[in-house]
Amino acid sequence: MTDESTSEQIDRRKFLKVLGVTGGGALALSGCSTDRVTKLIPYLVQSEDQVPGVATYYASTCTECHAGCGLHVKTREARAIKLEGNPEHPVNAGKLCARGQAGLQGLYNPGRLKGPKARAADGSFQEITWDEAINRLADKVGAARGKIAVITGAAPGTFSDLLSAWTTALGGQVVRYHAFDHEPMRAANRQVFGIDELPAYDFAKARYIVSFGADFLETWLAPVEHQRGFAESHGYQDGQMGKHVAFGPRMSLTGMNADEWHAIRPGSDAVLALAMANLIMSERTGAPADANGLRGVLAPHTPEAAAQETGLPAEAIKRIAREFASAKPSLAVAGGVGNQHRGATELCAAVNILNYVAGNVGQTVNFGAALAAGDGYGSMNDLAKRLDAGEVTVVLVHEANPIYSLPKSSKFSGKFAKATFKVSTSLFLDETARECDLLLPGHHALERWDDARPRRGVTGLMQPVMQPVFNTMATGDVLLKVAQRLGGPLASISAPSFEAYLKTAWQTQVPRGSDFDTFWRGALQRGGVYGSAPATPVRLAPGAQQVGYHKPAFDGTETAGDFIFSAYPTSMLHDGRGANRPWLLEMSDPVTKITWHSWVEIHPDVARDLDVQEGEILRLTSPFGSIEAPAYVYPGLHPGLVAVPLGLGHTEFGEYAKGRGVNALDLLNGEAPGGFLPYLATRVSVAKTGKYQRVAKTEGNVRQLGRGIADALTLEQARSGVAPALAEKAGGHEGEENPPREVAALKGWREEQQEEARLGAYAQDFPKWAMVVDLARCTGCSACVTACYAENNIPTVGPEQILRGREMTWIRIERYYEGGESPGEPLETRFVPVMCQHCGNAPCEPVCPVYAAYHTADGLNGQVYNRCVGTRYCSNNCPYKVRYFNWLAYGQQAFREPLNLQLNPDVTVRARGVMEKCTFCVQRIRGAQNQARMEDRTLADGDVVTACAQACPSSAIVFGNIKDPGSRVARLASDQRGYHLLEDLNVRPSVTYLAKVLHEAEG
Amino acid sequence: MATLAHDAHTPTQTHAEVTRDVVNTLGTAGRGYFMLLGLAVAMFLVGAVTFVALLKYGLGLAGYTPPVMWSVYITTFVFWIGIGHAGTLISAILFLFRSPWRTVVYRATEAMTVFAVMTAALFPIIHIGRQWFFYWLLPYPNSRYLWPNFKSPLIWDVFAITTYFTVSSTFLVVGLVPDVAAARDKMFGWRKKIYEIASLGWKGTHEQWRHYTRAYLYLAALATPLVLSVHSVVSWDFAMSLVPGWHGTIFAPYFVAGAIYSGVGMVLTILIPLRKALKLEHMFTEYHFDNLAKLTLFTGSILFYAYAMEYFVAWYSANKFEQTSFWLRAFGPMWWAGWTMIICNAFVSQLFWFKKIRTNLTALFVISIFINIGMWFERYVIIVSSLSNDFEPWAWGQMNPTWADWGILMGSFGWFGMWFLLFARTFPVVAIQEIKETIPWPRLRKGGH
Amino acid sequence: MRTLAFVGGGALVLSAVVGATTLGGRASPHPAAKDTTIVSSLTPGQIAKLPGPRQPIFFRHDIHAGQFEIPCRYCHYSVAVASEPGMPTMETCMGCHLVIGGTDSIAKAEITKVRKAWNDKQPIEWVRIHTLANFAHFPHQRHLKAMGPMACLTCHGDVKRMPQVYLVNKVNNMGFCTNCHMQRNINKDCTACHY
Repeated sequence: MTDESTSEQIDRRKFLKVLGVTGGGALALSGCSTDRVTKLIPYLVQSEDQVPGVATYYASTCTECHAGCGLHVKTREARAIKLEGNPEHPVNAGKLCARGQAGLQGLYNPGRLKGPKARAADGSFQEITWDEAINRLADKVGAARGKIAVITGAAPGTFSDLLSAWTTALGGQVVRYHAFDHEPMRAANRQVFGIDELPAYDFAKARYIVSFGADFLETWLAPVEHQRGFAESHGYQDGQMGKHVAFGPRMSLTGMNADEWHAIRPGSDAVLALAMANLIMSERTGAPADANGLRGVLAPHTPEAAAQETGLPAEAIKRIAREFASAKPSLAVAGGVGNQHRGATELCAAVNILNYVAGNVGQTVNFGAALAAGDGYGSMNDLAKRLDAGEVTVVLVHEANPIYSLPKSSKFSGKFAKATFKVSTSLFLDETARECDLLLPGHHALERWDDARPRRGVTGLMQPVMQPVFNTMATGDVLLKVAQRLGGPLASISAPSFEAYLKTAWQTQVPRGSDFDTFWRGALQRGGVYGSAPATPVRLAPGAQQVGYHKPAFDGTETAGDFIFSAYPTSMLHDGRGANRPWLLEMSDPVTKITWHSWVEIHPDVARDLDVQEGEILRLTSPFGSIEAPAYVYPGLHPGLVAVPLGLGHTEFGEYAKGRGVNALDLLNGEAPGGFLPYLATRVSVAKTGKYQRVAKTEGNVRQLGRGIADALTLEQARSGVAPALAEKAGGHEGEENPPREVAALKGWREEQQEEARLGAYAQDFPKWAMVVDLARCTGCSACVTACYAENNIPTVGPEQILRGREMTWIRIERYYEGGESPGEPLETRFVPVMCQHCGNAPCEPVCPVYAAYHTADGLNGQVYNRCVGTRYCSNNCPYKVRYFNWLAYGQQAFREPLNLQLNPDVTVRARGVMEKCTFCVQRIRGAQNQARMEDRTLADGDVVTACAQACPSSAIVFGNIKDPGSRVARLASDQRGYHLLEDLNVRPSVTYLAKVLHEAEG
Repeated sequence: MATLAHDAHTPTQTHAEVTRDVVNTLGTAGRGYFMLLGLAVAMFLVGAVTFVALLKYGLGLAGYTPPVMWSVYITTFVFWIGIGHAGTLISAILFLFRSPWRTVVYRATEAMTVFAVMTAALFPIIHIGRQWFFYWLLPYPNSRYLWPNFKSPLIWDVFAITTYFTVSSTFLVVGLVPDVAAARDKMFGWRKKIYEIASLGWKGTHEQWRHYTRAYLYLAALATPLVLSVHSVVSWDFAMSLVPGWHGTIFAPYFVAGAIYSGVGMVLTILIPLRKALKLEHMFTEYHFDNLAKLTLFTGSILFYAYAMEYFVAWYSANKFEQTSFWLRAFGPMWWAGWTMIICNAFVSQLFWFKKIRTNLTALFVISIFINIGMWFERYVIIVSSLSNDFEPWAWGQMNPTWADWGILMGSFGWFGMWFLLFARTFPVVAIQEIKETIPWPRLRKGGH
Repeated sequence: MRTLAFVGGGALVLSAVVGATTLGGRASPHPAAKDTTIVSSLTPGQIAKLPGPRQPIFFRHDIHAGQFEIPCRYCHYSVAVASEPGMPTMETCMGCHLVIGGTDSIAKAEITKVRKAWNDKQPIEWVRIHTLANFAHFPHQRHLKAMGPMACLTCHGDVKRMPQVYLVNKVNNMGFCTNCHMQRNINKDCTACHY
C-alpha cells in the first residue's frame, strides 16, 4: 500500500498520462487480433507509486450506499481497474457487494457530465468554464439572502460538515435526504428506547434470526456486514448452525436464505411480533425486570389473535416464539424498505419489544453505533412545502435525485421548479439535474479527497487514485471557491483546497504523542481510522407502553380482484442509482434472474385464475398512476400481492438507464402522512393488455430433476456424517463414512504428472489448483459475478442477446427450487455458483481440434483464446455448460469510451468467434508465480485468491492448491459434506461443493 | 404422368441410338433450363451474401442459443454428406455386384455425390467462429510446434471429407472419359475442341480399354469402403461426445443407413424430372425406379429399427439423462420436429411395400420429397433437441433459426443445383458405353474385360 | 568529407570495441569510457541509411548505452521488477541533458527537442519497435532473472551498437519464443503466456 500524503505528489500525478506503456489489452479492444499499440508514450515524471505493469493499491471508501465499506482500489498505469474490499475495515472486512464493485462503472460511465454547464435562454445546456460557473453560483448565492436550501445525499463526514457550515453561514437550510432512510426504525427506537439512532446488529452472534420483512442481505442498513455475520451464524460449522425464519408478504433474497419463510398477510406482522413477545413473557423468565410492565400491553396479543391476523397457524407462531426465546442470543429485525407499510413504525416498535424481552438488546442489538442516516422523509416534505410557498430561491442538489426517488404523485418536480435558481453537482444528467439551471459535475469518489463516517467510531478516507476522467471539480472545492469569492459571512470558511480543509479537520483527531504526518499517512494506508463506539445501554422508555397493533390502511378502495402492491428494492439497483451501470443491469436479479428490464411478480395461483403467462404485459393501476410491465410468475408471494422492483424507469440518467423499464414509485402515494414513504400501502388493479414481451432472464429449468446438482443434508445427517450422494437415497445410511474428497480430486493426477516428468516436459512438481464452494454459506448475492466481470474483462451483451441465452457470466448462480409443488409444502431455494469445474478428466479437451482447450500442468483446464477457431464442440461436450462463446464482437459495444479504461491489462479482451470461460483467474496465478520466483520462494497458501473468492461476502468460496495438505482448500475438500456436480460422469472436477444443511422441517 | 412401358428391362435401342439420344442431351439448352440455372445461382448468391455477413458480424447472426452451439449449419452439413452416399453405393458397390439396373442411373448419381460432397465441404468452414483460421485444422509444419488434435472427431471429419471428395471425383472423371470421347465425335466447331481436350485423347484402343476397365474396377473397390467409413466418422462427431441423445454405439450404422436412405431419396427427386427434361424416358424405366424404391424401403426399414432402438435403449438404460432427452424429443418443445422425422422416414418409406406405389412416378416423386425433408429433420432433431436439454437443467434452452440459418441452407441447395445443372448440360448424364455393354454384343476378340 | 567519414568509421569501430567489452552495462575501465567527447558523429547521409524506423528524436543507443555504458535499467527502470520494461520519463532525460547540450550540430538539435518537450510538458511519442500481440504476456523481470545481463541482447539484439534501434528478432512470432523454450526445455505451457 502506498499513500499520497504530500500535495507535491499530487501535482506530480497531474503529469501522469492515462496512456501507459503497457502492451496489455487496456486500449486495444481487438482482443485476439494482433494489432497493437504503435506508440510508446512515457511519463513526463516518474511517480514513486506507479510502476508500469505492476498494480498499485489505494485505500478508499465506498460511496454506493451509506454502509461505508472500506475499499482497496486496484490501479494500473494510473487507472483504477478494480474495487476490492479493505480487509482492515470493520464493516466489510475485505468483502464487497456487487453494487460496491460496480462503482467503477460510475467513474467510467459514458453518461457522465464532461464539464460545467449552464441553462441558456432557449432552455438548452451550454458548456461554460469553471470560473464562470463559480461566479454565477457565487452571485446567485450572494443575492439569495438566506433563501437557500441544500438537498444532499452525502454521507456524514467532513464534506457534510463543510456543507452545513457553508449553508448555515448563508442562512440556508440543509436537508440530508436518503431515499431509503429507515425512518420507522428510528421512530420506533425513539418510542421504545428513547434513543434516536439506528443500532448496529450483530448477526454473527445471533443463533436464531427472525426477519419481519427486513431484507438484511440486500439493501437494509449494511448488507455486506450482515452477510458476513449471517454466514458466521447460519453457515454450518462443526455440527452447529443458526436458524433463520423470515416473515413477510414477499420472499426476498433474504427470505430465500431462510430455513422457514412464511407468507403472511401484508402489514400484519406487528401483531406477530407482539404475540411472540407475549408468549415469551408468559412462558419464559429472564426477561429484563422493567419488561414486566409490558405484560398488560402484550396480553391482548395472543398467538391465536396473531394467527387470525396473519393467516399463520397459531402452533407455528408458538413454536417459533419458543425457539426464538430458547436460542441465546437471538435477533429479530424489521424495517425493510420493501415491507414499509403504514404500520411500519408499530412493527419496528413491536420488534424492539420482542428483542428486549428476549434479552437481545445489548447482545445482538447494539445502540451507540448510530449508523448514518438522513433527516427523513418528513423534512423533505417540509422543504417541498417551502419550495411550493416560494420561500426558497436557490436550491443546491448534491448526490441526491429527489425528482426520481419521490413518487410523481408528490408533485415534487413542480414545487422544485418554483425555485428561481437550481444547481446540481450530480456526476450525471439525472432527472433532478435536468431541471436545474447550473450543472457543476463533481468528482467521483475515486477522484477526490473526502471522508465518511458511516457509524460512530469508524471514519473512512477517500483519496484521488487517478486523474479526473472529465473536466469535473470536487464540490468541496466549489464551496470553498464560492466562500473565497463572497467573503462576508463565509469569510470564516477558508482553505486553499478541500484537501487542505480535510487535513485541518483531521488535525483534531491526531492521538496524543504522534505527529500529524505519521497519523495521516497511517490513516491513508489503512483507509481511515477504525475504533469501536462505546455501547449505549438502553432501557424501556415510557413510549414502550404505547406499542400495539392496528390494521394498516391501504390507499385505494378495497374491491374484488384488487391486489396489494409492493414496490421493493433489489440488491442490484437499490434506490435507482444502479440503473446506469451495465454490470448491474446485466446482472440477473438474484431472486428472479431477470436482467435489463422491469417485471411484475404474480403468484402462480393468481396467474392461473387470471390466465396470465410469463411475459404477458400487465397494466397495474392505483389511485396515483399506472404502469405496464411483463408478468413473472413467482411462487414466493402472498397470493394477495403483486410486486414490482424499484430502480428502473428513469427518464434521464444516461443512455443505459434512460427509458428502461418502469418506475414502481408511480403507483405510490407521495403525500402519505407519517414521516416516511410507505412502499407497501397501495391497492392496485391488474389488467391484461394482451401484449407480450419475452422476459430477458438467465433462468433455465428451476428444478434439478434429482440430478444431484444442489445437494443438501439435514442437520442430523450432517452431524452423523452421511455423504450427500447417500443422503439423496431415502434418508441415507446412518453414520456411513464418506470417502475423502481429495482422493477423487487427485485420482490419477500424480500418474499423469509423473508421465509428464518422464517425457521431460515438466521438470518440477506442479500444484493442483482447486476450489471449494460451501453451499451452506452461499446466499446467492452474486457479488462474485460482478467481481468476475471486473477482473476478467467480461463484456455485457444487452437484453436482446440475453433473450438468446448468450450472457457471458463465467460464474453464474443457479437457483433451484425444492418442494412447494403441493399446497402447504414449503418452498426451498438452493443457490449453486457454477463456474468452470476444471475437470481432471475434462470432456472439452479431447474434442478441440486445435488444442485451444487443453490441460495445464497445474491442473487448470486451459483455454487459449488466440488458438481457438470456434468450433464450439467443447461447449457441446461440457456437462456443466460453463463455456461461453463470443457470438458477436461483444467487447466493441461493451467497452466503449471511457468504460474501456476499466479493462484489466493482464487479461486478454476476447475477440468474437472464440470460446471463453472461467480460468481460475490464471492471470493472478501466473502473477503470484512470477512474484514468488522473483523472491526465490514457493507459493504459500493464500498467495493466489480468485476474484470471486476475494469478493464473496460470506466467504463461501475457497481457492488453493489441493496437493498441499495444509491448505484450506485441501482440508475443506475432504469435508464429509463435499460432493461434485454430476459425479457419475467421472469427469473429476476440481471444484468441490459442500452440501447445504437444512434444519429438519417442523410444525 | 404416364405409367411406364412394360418390360423395359432389356433396352431395345441400338448402339447408334444410345449415343444419339445421350449426346442430344448436350448442346444448347432451352429456356426452362436457364430459368432453373438462374434460380440455382440466385439461391447460391443468397447464401454467399449471408456468409459475408457472418464473416463481418459473427456467427451471432444465426439463431444459436446456448446451450445449442450447433444447429442448422451442422444439420445441413450432415444432410449433404449423407446425400452423397447413395451415389457411391450405386456407382461403386452395385458395380462390384454387377447389378444390371445401375448402369443407367449411376452417372447421374455419381455426379450428385461429387456435388453433394462439394456442398458439405463448405460447412466446416462456414460454421466455425473464426473462418479465416480454418487452415489451423489442417496438419502443416510450423515454427510454433503446433499440430491439430488428432483425438478430435472434427479432425477425422476433415480427413474423411477430403478423401471422399478425391476418390468420388476421380471415379466420376475416369468414368466420363469414353463418353466424352463419344460426344466429341458427334460435335463440330469449338465444342469439338473442348471435348477433345476433356476426353484426354481417348481413342478407344485395346490398351486404353484395358487400363480403363482396370482403373474403373479399382476405383470402385476404393470407393466401396468409403460408403461405410465416411458417414461412420461423421456420426462419431456426435457419438464420441457425452451429450445424452448423441452418446450411442448405434450411431455409425444408424447414420450410414440414414445416409443411403436420404441419398436414394435425392436420386429419385433428381432423376424423375431429369428423364423427362432430357427425353430419356425409354432409358430410365420402371425397372430402375422399382429397384431404387426397394433400396429405399430396405434402408428406411433399418432406420425404423434404429429409431425404435434409440428409444428402447434410452428407456432400458435407466439413465435419467438419456430418458429425459428422448422424452423431450418426442413430447418436449420440439415434438413437431421429432415426429416429422419419424413419420417421414420410418413410416412413409413403408409405403414401398406396394408395387403400385413403387412404379407410380408421381407417388415416387412426392415420397422422395418427404424423405429429403424427413432426413434433414432427423439431423436437426438429433443435434438441436439433444443439445437443448442435456445434463445441467439450469442451462437448458431452446433455439429458433434466423434468416442467417435459412440463407446458408438455401445457398447450399443453390450451390448444389448450380453444379448439377451445369454438369447435366455439358456431360452425358447416362453412361453411353456402359449401356452399350448391356446390349447383346458379339465379342470379336479376347481381353477387354 | 573524407576526414569526417574516417572519423565516423573510426568511431564505429571504437564503439564496437566498447560495446563488445561492456555487455549489460557493466562499467569497465576502458579508455573510450573516459573520453567524453562525441566522436561518433554521423553524416545525414549515413543516418538516412540506418535500418529501423526514424524516431521523433534521433536517440542514439550506441552513444548512451555503448560509449557511455549507461546500464539499460537506468532508463528502462522497471524491466527488472515488472513485466513492462518502462520507458524513461522526460525527467530522466533531463537529469543529464539539463547540463549536456551535445557537441556536434545534429546532437545539439536533437537535445534541444528534448528540452523543448520537457518545457512544454509534452511527452515524446516514440515509435514502438518491439511489440507483442495483446494476448501474449511477457514478464520481462523473470527473463532478466533467469538469463542475467545477456537477457536484453537475446531478443533486442546488440542495441549498444545501434545508432538507431531496429527490429533484430521477430519477437512477435511465437516461433521465436518457443525455440528458446524448447532448446532450454523450460515451461512450454500455453497459459504461461496466453491468458
